[in-house]
Amino acid sequence: MNDPNQDGRLDALLALARANRLDTSAAEFAFETRLLARLLAREETGSIWAMVSWRLLPFFAVCVVALTIWHSQVVTETNEAEQMAYVENPGPLDSWNNLN
Amino acid sequence: MVSAKSSTPDEQLVEASLAGDDHAFAELTLRHKSRVFGVAARFARDAAELEDICQEVFIQAYFKLRQYRRDSPFEHWVLRITTHKCYDYLRKRRRNPVAVSVDSLLESGHEPSAPAPPAPHSDLERLHAALAQLSPKERLVITLLGLEERSVQEIAGLTGWSAANVKVRAFRARAALRRLMEDQK
Repeated sequence: MNDPNQDGRLDALLALARANRLDTSAAEFAFETRLLARLLAREETGSIWAMVSWRLLPFFAVCVVALTIWHSQVVTETNEAEQMAYVENPGPLDSWNNLN
Repeated sequence: MVSAKSSTPDEQLVEASLAGDDHAFAELTLRHKSRVFGVAARFARDAAELEDICQEVFIQAYFKLRQYRRDSPFEHWVLRITTHKCYDYLRKRRRNPVAVSVDSLLESGHEPSAPAPPAPHSDLERLHAALAQLSPKERLVITLLGLEERSVQEIAGLTGWSAANVKVRAFRARAALRRLMEDQK
């Protein structure tokens, strides 16, 4: 069971703490100015990244095109090399056919 | 610019802020910062944490302003954000415990940025030390109920808990606080 004396003491303490409201005026001073500065800094950082990304878009597009061309050339060269190797050294099936 | 807006209703300032007028948001901040600081100071450990909590509250308000429905005053909405931020800080602190609350720093004559005061002696210091040992939910409910004098319905609105839940948590928090105060003797 709750002791009424203890409850009363706790209530009195809470009332005392309530009455001793903290003076936050020093912390509040120019708070909105600091807040706006932080918000602006956030927005600027965001816009800088967006701007850089958009400016780099043509560069990335050129990179993708160059990579595609290089890849298709490599594939063509590999195919040609494989065909040449096949003509010069036919596989075991062809040797078998020649024997017959 | 701010003085010209001092008589403008909150709803108009919200509209102006949504339209990109940052000075309107600054005016909203100026109007409601005292209440936000008042509540946050009950939970913050020092001046730096108090500033952090309040900045996070208003930054969230700024970015989520579109979610503010005009069915309740702007102040209620901001205080709801404040309550959630304070709860987040209490949970973070639970994982990373240090020092004491701003209240006890100021009551002992220290500036908020000064080093931590000696072990608690007065009843008030014992109360703050006991509050600091409560779980985040207990601390939140007892602070809002006992120190901020909020009603059960108001706390339910601020926290998103049901009224019955608030009552149960408040009862348990009081019992835990009493036990902690007894243990300190």
